[in-house]
Amino acid sequence: MNLWLQIADTAGAVLLLLGAAICLLGVIGMIRLPDVLSRSHAATKPQTLGIILVLAGVALRLRGGMELATLVLIAFFQMLTSPVASHLVARSAYRTGQIEHGELLFDELDEQLTDGE
Amino acid sequence: MRRILRFSFRNADLPPLSCEFGTRRRRVLDLPLIAWLTVIWVLLWSTLTWANVLTGVVVSAVVCLAFPLPRVDLGLRLHLWGIVCLACYLFHDMYTSGVKVTRQIFFGLPHRAAVIGVPLRCRSDLMLAATAVAVSNVPGGSIIEVRRATATVFLHVLDADRPEELEAARRKVWRMEELTVRAFGTPDEIARVAEPPPPPQLAAGRPAP
Repeated sequence: MNLWLQIADTAGAVLLLLGAAICLLGVIGMIRLPDVLSRSHAATKPQTLGIILVLAGVALRLRGGMELATLVLIAFFQMLTSPVASHLVARSAYRTGQIEHGELLFDELDEQLTDGE
Repeated sequence: MRRILRFSFRNADLPPLSCEFGTRRRRVLDLPLIAWLTVIWVLLWSTLTWANVLTGVVVSAVVCLAFPLPRVDLGLRLHLWGIVCLACYLFHDMYTSGVKVTRQIFFGLPHRAAVIGVPLRCRSDLMLAATAVAVSNVPGGSIIEVRRATATVFLHVLDADRPEELEAARRKVWRMEELTVRAFGTPDEIARVAEPPPPPQLAAGRPAP
């Protein structure tokens, strides 16, 4: 029994480290990628995966029913809200002309927007 | 004498799973919403006691009365097996495309990005929103714009100079839509996503890179 607790503790620590590393990766991506839209890839996606791994690690170390449910709730809201935030950033960046259209290979949204007017 | 509280199973005028509250200005409360808010309240206190549950019900009823939501028919159905499939696919996809984006960040040649439009098969608002959320949770495509009239999502793809990557991005959105609808959709919508995806009219006439 004690052995299992030790295994859970170690696995939790590994998951915590892994999640933190993935979040760090997102930050590095934000520095290295060129423009707003590419950076929003790096800023939002690894965070979600990283946070889920950190929460899994915390769950393995806490091992309580209510705590587990709260952690699931945090993961759920993270997955629900971060796409909305990144969509708003991308949309406002696009609409206020913060992106260089010459850098894009092609742009199907631009055609649609100009058609609509 | 009129009753203060009336439930929908006694009164066919009310929408399903709701209750009417009040004497003169009658307000309609959505019971699943109150239950969900109560669950969140109890989880935030992180102890399950009667006091917590009762105060949770009171607080969520007050919140629903103070900030009333417009009455909409969401068309939300929960399919347990579909949700499990969607969660597994999401996690798998997060992992694999996370590895891909990482490789791009560190060793990737400077790729040209592009914005592509992907028409979806389902027109309902809920499915559109759920698909958009699911798509932007996985690395590789980030949603810029959702067009409700044509049910088209526009995403930014990082390495667009390879045609197979573009096709893969489109196929991924359609796969995600199918899984989302199988998890939350009505039978009508599930039948619609079972058909093959529409031909890419938007991509037609695209010059080969």
